[in-house]
Amino acid sequence: MSVTDSSSLRDDFANEPPARFWRSLDDLSRTPSFRVKLGREFPDIAARFGRAVGTDRRTALKLLGASLLMAGVAACKAPAGIAPYVDQPENIIPGRPRFFATAMPLDGYAMGVIAESHEGRPTKIEGNPLHPGSLGGTDPIMQASVWSLYDPARSRNVRRGTEISTWDEFLQNLAAVRAAYLPKGGGGLGILIGAETSPTLKRQLAALKAALPGLKVYRHAPLNPPAAAPVPVYDLGKARTILALDGDFLGQGPGKLAYARAFAEGRRVRKASRQMSRLYVIETVPTLTGANADWVRRLKPSAIDGVVQKLLEAMSGSDVSDPDLAPLLADLKAGNAIVVTGPQASPYVQAAAAQLNQRLGAPVRMIAPLEIAGDGDLKALVGDIGAGRIETLLVSGVDPVHSAPAGLDVVSALKRLKALLHHGLHLDATAKLAHWHAPATHYLEAWSDGLAYDGSAGLIQPLIAPLYDSHTLHEIVAALGGDYTAGAHDLVRATWTLLDDAGWTAALKAGRIENTAAARVAPPAPALPAPATQSGGIEVKLVPDPYFRDGAYAPNLPLNELARPLTKLVWGNAAEMAPKTAAALGLKDADEVELVAGGTHLVLPTFIHPGTPEDTIVVALGWGRAYGDGDPVGANAYPLLGQAGPLIVGKTGQRGRLVTVQNDYSMEGRDLIHEVALTEWPGPPPIPEEQPRVMPQWDNPDEAWGMSIDLTSCIGCMACVSACVAENNSPVVGIDEVDRGHDMHWLRVDRYYSGDVNAPETSFQPVPCMQCEDAPCEVVCPVNATVHTHDGLNAQVYNRCVGTRYCSQNCPYKVRRFNFFDYNKDISETSPLSLLMNPDVTVRERGVMEKCTYCVQRIAEARIGGDVADKPIADGTIQTACQQACPTRAITFGNINDKTAKVVAEKAEPTNYAMLAELGTRPRTTYLSKVRNHPEGGSD
Amino acid sequence: MTDRVIAGHPSDREIVGRISSVPLRGRIPRYFWWVFLLFFVIALLFLFSIGWLLIEGIGTIGLEIPAAWGFMIVNTVWWIGIGHAGTLISAILVLLRQNWRNSINRFAEAMTLFAVGIAGLFPILHLGRPQYFYWLLPLPVTHMPWPNWRSPLVWDFFAIATYILVSLMFWYMGLVPDMAVLRDRAQTRGKQIVYGLLSLGWRGSAYHWSRFETSYLLVAALATPLVVSVHSVIALDFTSALIPGYHSTIFPPYFVAGALYSGFAMVFTIAVPLRQFFGFQAFITDRHLDNGAKVMLASGCFVAYGYISEAFFSWYSGDPFERYMMWNRAFGDYSWTFWVMLACNVGLLQFLWFKRVRTNPWLLFVLSLGINIGMWIERYVIVVVSLTRDFVPSMWRNVTPTWVDYSLLLGSLGMFFALMFLFLRVLPAITIFEVEELEHKVEEGKA
Repeated sequence: MSVTDSSSLRDDFANEPPARFWRSLDDLSRTPSFRVKLGREFPDIAARFGRAVGTDRRTALKLLGASLLMAGVAACKAPAGIAPYVDQPENIIPGRPRFFATAMPLDGYAMGVIAESHEGRPTKIEGNPLHPGSLGGTDPIMQASVWSLYDPARSRNVRRGTEISTWDEFLQNLAAVRAAYLPKGGGGLGILIGAETSPTLKRQLAALKAALPGLKVYRHAPLNPPAAAPVPVYDLGKARTILALDGDFLGQGPGKLAYARAFAEGRRVRKASRQMSRLYVIETVPTLTGANADWVRRLKPSAIDGVVQKLLEAMSGSDVSDPDLAPLLADLKAGNAIVVTGPQASPYVQAAAAQLNQRLGAPVRMIAPLEIAGDGDLKALVGDIGAGRIETLLVSGVDPVHSAPAGLDVVSALKRLKALLHHGLHLDATAKLAHWHAPATHYLEAWSDGLAYDGSAGLIQPLIAPLYDSHTLHEIVAALGGDYTAGAHDLVRATWTLLDDAGWTAALKAGRIENTAAARVAPPAPALPAPATQSGGIEVKLVPDPYFRDGAYAPNLPLNELARPLTKLVWGNAAEMAPKTAAALGLKDADEVELVAGGTHLVLPTFIHPGTPEDTIVVALGWGRAYGDGDPVGANAYPLLGQAGPLIVGKTGQRGRLVTVQNDYSMEGRDLIHEVALTEWPGPPPIPEEQPRVMPQWDNPDEAWGMSIDLTSCIGCMACVSACVAENNSPVVGIDEVDRGHDMHWLRVDRYYSGDVNAPETSFQPVPCMQCEDAPCEVVCPVNATVHTHDGLNAQVYNRCVGTRYCSQNCPYKVRRFNFFDYNKDISETSPLSLLMNPDVTVRERGVMEKCTYCVQRIAEARIGGDVADKPIADGTIQTACQQACPTRAITFGNINDKTAKVVAEKAEPTNYAMLAELGTRPRTTYLSKVRNHPEGGSD
Repeated sequence: MTDRVIAGHPSDREIVGRISSVPLRGRIPRYFWWVFLLFFVIALLFLFSIGWLLIEGIGTIGLEIPAAWGFMIVNTVWWIGIGHAGTLISAILVLLRQNWRNSINRFAEAMTLFAVGIAGLFPILHLGRPQYFYWLLPLPVTHMPWPNWRSPLVWDFFAIATYILVSLMFWYMGLVPDMAVLRDRAQTRGKQIVYGLLSLGWRGSAYHWSRFETSYLLVAALATPLVVSVHSVIALDFTSALIPGYHSTIFPPYFVAGALYSGFAMVFTIAVPLRQFFGFQAFITDRHLDNGAKVMLASGCFVAYGYISEAFFSWYSGDPFERYMMWNRAFGDYSWTFWVMLACNVGLLQFLWFKRVRTNPWLLFVLSLGINIGMWIERYVIVVVSLTRDFVPSMWRNVTPTWVDYSLLLGSLGMFFALMFLFLRVLPAITIFEVEELEHKVEEGKA
């Protein structure tokens, strides 16, 4: 049916079966085919050509002339972007950022954020202090998430097969799907989603299923196995003893930021209070939680059940004489203890943890599962497709071709479908199989909602109109339900009918809806599954990549380049193993290792990672995801997931590529991180900072900025580094450049191991610029490009820098970074990434040195504010990006001339020390010693 | 007679004829041009690498954080060192009235000039933004920062610039009487004009000679402290930095000794083939070789003493960073550089105790090559190896040079030798008037 002239429209009204009954023309006009017509420009002209049988010479010449003319006319249409304001929009002051509360869906759960917007473009994410899942802190993924909004590789168009199409045609197709399945009650139609907690989506899917009872919703979340039983919410704040059983509560899960905060609060040892909790960890892979433990045992995956069983028996009073567990048992029995586990732990361990908590009377609140439960998982979906029960499938937000576990032939199953509709941010492997692809919105351009780890609801509001032809899943589900025009806002608003308009506005402002935390439910029945028996041989343990999660964030390049917290690897995954295991296999770092299990064959570089349990090979999932035209980075380990067959480990004899930003594990006996046992706190006094000096003392009459970093609170999560990158326009340099030591991160978190190489203790140390008072870099710069400011900063003047790099040579902390190339040359004005840049920070050119300046742009902003108000800058007004992002509040920043400032109190602690103080650099950044609470020393 | 500084009894006419025949009549063997072509091609590689570096950026050479200084700084220090021998021969030996210097000072000065010119190029190319190198100058221009006088790089800039200017002046002054000789003997109009302009109207009157002698001595006196000061200032780049391996007070004298050591090695590298191929055996005699080798022996011993004192004080300081630095040099990832350095600079040196070695030109040539390599590696050990292992182990990282590094180093050698060849072709390689004077003095002294 040609869409040509207005008369044919009339025919349409007559011929096209309207959506059942229609009450008005307006109602009728909601049909997708009508909207397609509306979208097409100049139907009359098209009609004439539709009729003409070949164009005559005269018309051809006319058209040629006209097209020339119109090509010029087209330039007269001013793009909306460059038109100056005729009427200044309210509340927008050019140059002054605005902040909005919203939430980022992470593994399906909402993490409350405050997004910073400059003239309508979001540039930076901060944590939302009012949101229970954030409490003001963020993780590295949240910090890097703005990059994903402007990701040049994002899918920009609706596609039909490989051809570019429009959203309206996609809707028309959805209408056809709906029309086809409505008579069958939805039988044969399926929807595949990932982990989702959105109440709106839940409501929509329920409504859709009511209309189409045969519709099936599948859930594919490889990292979050479906939880049928109630899930625990821990209250770590009160605990004196925390036992983590294969539960990485500091590094993973929707509650990690809240847990990390509570954990750190329980361990802030100061003059005023020397209370400190003790963390015991029994785990099967090295995790952030294990790295922060006071007592840690790492066991191969099949061995943990046995140890936990012993622990359970010992707790129930039976006589198990295991001296190794004795201090743990004593502390558990002493009361105020809590046992934490995670969804990746074995079923036995999870059940045992629940039982232990009940016995200990631990502060654990059980709540009903928050995630939308599906009718089946990916395996069920493949089965249903094979059996012909599913013909048409909508896939949203997941890439099952990438993340299919072992033995599941997703590709051929998807190819059997009559219609595959894909909705996602990228043209990934699944999208390339799909008959239709619709680009998804990024959370900063979408309306939605989501639940925090404790069930509190938060609203997701857009800061920017979708950059491309992107839409939310809500709109697609609504269209399947027959509503083709509803916007995501209306759909979300309709979910929250309990809020009046004022309540809605308040919820948007706060970023969360009050009093929506999930109610306590009865704990599960105390049934213990049979523990697994320890098996011999080498086992492989697949873990989510700390930043990519299941692979969703693999296209995020800053996350590719952010060092993994423990391995410090970038741009690729590896087969991580203990030194002993590697020695037994005859492997060295970067040797290629071949993992063969069942029909799967995976080649990875070896990475010797002290602390990995013996006979265990740890491989991160989420890598090797293909999208767009590029090659995947890293190796996809999903085909090993759930592989039952025995694991064969072989050498290929080749060398793989292993890129790390920290080559040395050990502190080499140097006094960089001070550690002190709680019983010996505060330990020997540090080297006095005052050294004989020649140069005159700097005078900072107004402010003197200083920073204190509490190494006990720092959990090494890397949120600060990710925040620094996002705040300071740090470029992504790529694998080759990082490999050559050209990474551009101003802040790094050093990770050192100490003690036994087979059971090492981990220490983290964030290293920003120390802002030395007697800065070695300042003396040697020949052109005064690095100078001391009146408020004690060690400033870097990019315009003056000629690039001798002498400053970096003379920096004992090596915190300066150099633009060896023009790393921003790809970010032209036409690249969406140009919108990402923080306008308060210079984008640096080739050949200049750069470094941390305590976020001098934030200091300048506060000073201007203070000058305008004629008031001194109050303590806490300025937060550096790293400080603001830190989930545990390990970083304190302020004016050390202000004797009431928090940073002064921190620096007055007896454990305060300066790194390499003996060099006489007098750093303004100082550390508080890392306090260890080993059980061997007895409880304090 | 081996200890004569001039072999045979050449007349003035013979001396002038033999020396001036090269620039004037091009009486040079054919293979001269083939060798020149080889060096010229390598010099073109140098220019190509410089172009590549300027267009593609400083990241194309093997630099990183922590080791943000690399081959080019090593090259600078090495080339400056080479230049030092020329100044020592021409200036200090003039003041000390060591007449044996007369026949080798001209090309030693040319060597200085080219070496220092090349050395001065590297720090500029090594900048991240080389187009702004002049910001190191105290120019009263408002858009420019005033230089930071506390920075050794500013001292460096002035030291090298002064050195280039004084060397050029000294070399040119010594050339003026010879230019007049060439002008007078030139048989083509073009040569007469060019050499005539360059001779600045020299007529050879007693008045001229008197003024010349005085001013030559004065410039020699001006150049003499530069032998000590230039390399001392360059050494301060390292001494005043606090990186273990840099932060050492012995560097200024030790660098000067090293400079003389490598500089004399380069003099031999050039003089031995020169006397062979141009038949200058009468002017560059075994006596010259022997004396030069003795200077090498003395400066080499001082360098060896420097190594010992560096090692001793890093132990004696008790400073763990210093101790680790020394351990890393000897046994770390770059330990081979340390041992090659010792073998070349201290091992080969021991042969010079023997007079038979000192007077054997080709043996000296081979030893000189080894010492030149050893001295280059010594600077690599100091500049680069120290940086790869400094204070904070998390930032330790090895550094790999790229093809641009190698081609710049090789290319600079090509450039240097191509310039030397051109110098030999167009200017008198040996000072005519001084050799004549010397011959007269020798004859009269004998008489």
